[in-house]
Amino acid sequence: MRAIERIREQSLLICLLVLPGLIQAGGFQVNLQGNKQTGMGHTGTALNMGASTVFFNPGAMTFQDTTWSLEAGFNGIYASTVFQSDEFDYSASTIGSLGTPFHVYVSGKITDKIGAGLAVYTPFGSKVEWEGEWKGRFLIQDIQLQAIFIQPTFSYKINDSWGVGAGFVYALGSVEINRNLPLEGLDGEEGTVNLTGDAAGIGFNIGFYGQPTEKLSVGLTYRSQVDIALEGGDAKFTAPSSLAASFPADNKFDADLPLPATGSLGLAYDVSDKVKLAFDINYVFWSVYDSLIFDFETNTSALSDSRNARLYEDAIIIRLGGEFKCTDNFIWRLGAYYDPSPIQDDFFNPETPNTDNVGFTVGASIYPTERLAIDLSFLYILGLERESTYEPSNFGGTYKSSAHIPGVGLSYSF
Amino acid sequence: MNTTKITSIVLAGSLLLFAGCKPEIDEFTPEAGSADFTTYVAVGNSLTAGYANNDLYASGQKESFPAFLATQLALAGGGEFTQPMMVSENGLAAARLVLGPSTDCLGATSLGPVIFSDVLNTSNFASIWNGEPFNNMGVPGAQIGHLLFPGYGHPQLGNPYYARFASSPGVSTIMEDAMLNNPTFFTLWAGNNDVLSFATSGGVNPITDQAGFDGALGAVVQTLTSGGAKGVLANIPDVTSIPFFTTVPYNALVLTAEQAAGLNGAFAQLPDINFVEGPNAMLTVDSTAAGGMRHLVAGELVLLSIDQDGIKCEGLGSLNLTTDPPSPNPIPGQFILDAGELADVKAATANFNASILAQANTAGLGHADMNATMAELTTGLVFDGITVSATYVTGGAFSLDGVHPNSRGYAIITNEFIDVINEKYGASIPKVDITEVTAIAFP
Repeated sequence: MRAIERIREQSLLICLLVLPGLIQAGGFQVNLQGNKQTGMGHTGTALNMGASTVFFNPGAMTFQDTTWSLEAGFNGIYASTVFQSDEFDYSASTIGSLGTPFHVYVSGKITDKIGAGLAVYTPFGSKVEWEGEWKGRFLIQDIQLQAIFIQPTFSYKINDSWGVGAGFVYALGSVEINRNLPLEGLDGEEGTVNLTGDAAGIGFNIGFYGQPTEKLSVGLTYRSQVDIALEGGDAKFTAPSSLAASFPADNKFDADLPLPATGSLGLAYDVSDKVKLAFDINYVFWSVYDSLIFDFETNTSALSDSRNARLYEDAIIIRLGGEFKCTDNFIWRLGAYYDPSPIQDDFFNPETPNTDNVGFTVGASIYPTERLAIDLSFLYILGLERESTYEPSNFGGTYKSSAHIPGVGLSYSF
Repeated sequence: MNTTKITSIVLAGSLLLFAGCKPEIDEFTPEAGSADFTTYVAVGNSLTAGYANNDLYASGQKESFPAFLATQLALAGGGEFTQPMMVSENGLAAARLVLGPSTDCLGATSLGPVIFSDVLNTSNFASIWNGEPFNNMGVPGAQIGHLLFPGYGHPQLGNPYYARFASSPGVSTIMEDAMLNNPTFFTLWAGNNDVLSFATSGGVNPITDQAGFDGALGAVVQTLTSGGAKGVLANIPDVTSIPFFTTVPYNALVLTAEQAAGLNGAFAQLPDINFVEGPNAMLTVDSTAAGGMRHLVAGELVLLSIDQDGIKCEGLGSLNLTTDPPSPNPIPGQFILDAGELADVKAATANFNASILAQANTAGLGHADMNATMAELTTGLVFDGITVSATYVTGGAFSLDGVHPNSRGYAIITNEFIDVINEKYGASIPKVDITEVTAIAFP
């Protein structure tokens, strides 16, 4: 028995080494909403995995084995992007920064047919800081974008095989952007602009879940677009003193940032008592992100509103994952996904240097007791090299990126 | 070995494998192609010398286009590049302009060109020749014929910009001194002054005749290529698109109905002279017109050298009210490029450029179309988020004299040369990073 187990362990290890790991998300979407699902290539639309179903598919909430489920987890994103321009024999990279998306879920069954839950998660965000005084500083020096979604949710079990659910989303967004201005003082210092603000938006999350056969489950979800309308953000300018009147130091700005809708279809299949496979397809409606406009409260002859074309295109993400129940208290997971960039080659801005990404995932759940699980996940994102330009600013070159995202979560059911 | 241990090992291993490993892109290596940049020599006029802001001074020379280009060529085998450095920041004529506050005749203070220092540093005139030829042979003011003229470096009668570094002042020519380097590569950007000095003098100085231009150009190219050197010839931008000619509008005179009626009364004797409410074409001297003056017409250019306080306070371009009685004050011809002169400038530029292109083709040299670059600049160019145009001061490409580029303008020009070199000689020379070059320093 021990020998067989060892062989099994070794083959898993080999799988790990051979399977490339593919994981993160296009644009500034962050797909890290559950450590179990992340281990499986962030599939989950057709998976019934405890409290995280409040996010992944509210239709599955009433299909859980226990009355209550709790789950919380977070990830550390260590991402790096390099930029190189052969035309100028120039290269630069982002400064390693840590992003920490998190999630907290509660799900309960009020009756056999009715479930209720609450989710708090971070499905959008971005943290990009280019090295100081880099060549693209007039486009972006650094950006930090964060959105926290709070989602109270209800679910209804139509019959033993089918369920639906819907949640209301209240979103809190915040942004900070720093750029240089192409104006130089006698001391050689360039002008700067710092934009900060926060705003709220609303949306919804609906899901449909079914178990047509004992082994097969299916899911269909739609997470709506959330518009973050930022009003009265702070626009702080610095400029050489002779130009100070043209760049008011304490200006204000309005901006609208659409967080796109995502429609998902998922399938999950129990190959055996020990092995489950999952497949997801996400359609992300990125084309809503047409332009980013900063409407300044005070305009001057030198300062007009900043209109920045984005012209994103819709993107389809394909995900595959599997889990293997080694023992009753240990589960292995593996997954991969392909996440093409929604950004066109002529409108690739280093503010969101999103390449076509391949994600590779591995995960595990350890059950110290029957009810408590420690969920570990690791996602490696391989950003495929691309040569792109932001035409409106005539700034381009070759970009390549990668990210390493370890995560840990706890889940408890009773 | 239990599964928990395996998990920890795999996770720790993954972290070690991936943490700190940055994505990598294949490195780029500059190549010289079929050219040899060992000894680069730049021949030309003020645009080659690094003249800017109305004078030649050390920090401007360090950002001349040949200095920028030599730095880039050094990445693909280029050698040392020497320039006849000025000893001070004032310039040879102490005419250097910087941006500063100035108060006009109406008492209004605004940011504009002011003299950097009017202290003349006479040591700038002393010869710096020490037996070593200079790679930058740009001489401000030089026309194409001057490159071959022995008297051009005469200590008293010649051009002081050349006299100070001529190997034998009054005897040697610019071309002879250039060839002392035994160049393997050269740039020749000359001929601008053969038309520009006519334009900037409002048609007073003559345009070089075509035969003279062609003869001199042929001789210069033949000399430069005599040792087998490769190089690039640059053509002449249409000078009428530069800020020196485009900044002061021909209809700068804005009047109220009352003021217009008053002026019409004063010019009642001259029926062709008529003022209306709003912008008005200014008056210029014209001996063929009744009363010796007429209105400017749209398309005619007013030079930046005009006395702008005169327009504001002394009725320059209309009626001078400060005299008793008020006197007509038409703009003298040397501050105007009229329609006939403009046609001459355009024709000469086109003809000279045809000669330059023909020479480049015959000699198998690269050809940099600076005329096209300048035309693009008038509509605006964008580099790395910086918008650059030919607008005076704020456009960011021209220095405060309105004729010569500033450092950023010279960097853009350098990149045009690099494009031609890469194309013509199959080289891969990286360009100058525009964002690292200052345009204008604002107080």
